[in-house]
Amino acid sequence: MIGAGFSLTLASAQGGDEIAFACLFRDVQPALLRYLQVITPEAEDVAGETWLQVVKGLPRFRGGEEAFRAWLFTIARHRAVDAGRSRSRRSDVPLAATETLEQPTTPDAAELALEAISTRSVVALIKSLPRDHAEIIMLRVVAGLEAADVARIVGKTPGAVRVTAHRALRRLADLAERAGVTH
Amino acid sequence: MPGFPFPGRPGGEHDELLLDMIIARRALPPDAPEPMHDLARMLAALAGPAEPGELAGEAAVRAAFSRAASPAGISPAVRRLGRRRGTRRSRRPARYRARLATVLIVAAAGLGSVLAAYTDVLPGPVQQLAHVTVAAPAPPSPGRHSARASAHRTRSATPRPGSSPASGPAPSTGLAQPPGQGGSPKPSYKPLPTGSPGRRPTGVACGLVPQRWPNPPPKASAYPSLPSWFEGEKCTGIPSGPRAAPTLDPYVPLPGSGPRGGRA
Repeated sequence: MIGAGFSLTLASAQGGDEIAFACLFRDVQPALLRYLQVITPEAEDVAGETWLQVVKGLPRFRGGEEAFRAWLFTIARHRAVDAGRSRSRRSDVPLAATETLEQPTTPDAAELALEAISTRSVVALIKSLPRDHAEIIMLRVVAGLEAADVARIVGKTPGAVRVTAHRALRRLADLAERAGVTH
Repeated sequence: MPGFPFPGRPGGEHDELLLDMIIARRALPPDAPEPMHDLARMLAALAGPAEPGELAGEAAVRAAFSRAASPAGISPAVRRLGRRRGTRRSRRPARYRARLATVLIVAAAGLGSVLAAYTDVLPGPVQQLAHVTVAAPAPPSPGRHSARASAHRTRSATPRPGSSPASGPAPSTGLAQPPGQGGSPKPSYKPLPTGSPGRRPTGVACGLVPQRWPNPPPKASAYPSLPSWFEGEKCTGIPSGPRAAPTLDPYVPLPGSGPRGGRA
């Protein structure tokens, strides 16, 4: 998070300052990419499309850092959904079957145990959760969005988001303990 | 909703506060269960700084930003089209607006000058020029102005229906009032003859009939407000000299139409 200097950075980026825009990019891109790695197999491409849309809409954006992140992750989710639809059309696979393929598989616990606590291993562990659990964890914890923003993005109530986040964290802790990732 | 019991704990209600702290990335209390600390460390690593390769797309995104931020991001054809459209839409109307404004200003000035000339408020030489060019009233003689002002006062005190400021002879009618005679009779007018010897021309505003002065006229300084050849009290509207062709503009009261008519 940029913090107090976000408004100035955003204003500079909106005025065409490439350095300021790079500052925004470096601040958000890791969380964005990790979130997309959880919800789509085409994370890099979707991240690129997301930033292109951000570039187009940046001059018209108004709001603080929270709003900026919520806006950006909303765009990313829409692009991920679009990518899933186009992928399903290309492969001529029924949508139900495609969604089944998109469901992440539980990683091999022995394999995970061999890795240290790294971002990649944690992302892989979170991908083993149900889709809505994984997405809410990523939006709440990684993206740092409030429950209300997450609720708007995923189409749930803030209360449901909170309950789902707690449930997902408990399952994640259970998975990590069984996989030995947290040792 | 109690939710799942946390691993290693008997129930799930007590860990919700700790889970909220993990989500908010706050430090857990030291006496929190070890699985909670493990989960917090794991998520902290997930929210950590960028790893190698995660910022690989920065160059492409910055290039896209530069294209969007600079005018070069627009194709040259679109820029040329925009310039042409801008020329058509902005410069021409500006030129036309300037011309129109000039024409309107000149028209307003001309109209105002003509109006000023017909209301006889211009300076003497200018009024004379207007008299020659646009048939405006002749410039007043030196003493006429103050006399006409007094006539205006008299008329405003007793308004008469039917008389208009443009009728011309009204001021002279006021001049012709004998001293001490109250009220202003409504005169009739007839063309004023000109060309008689001993007479001086009168303008449109003057409707009194000048009379031949039998002797050399008195000095103008005796009556600074009236022309020296005027005898307003004896104005009858009928020339006493030989008749001549009437001029276009002057009108005089007809005899018998007013209180002075019978005094010819």
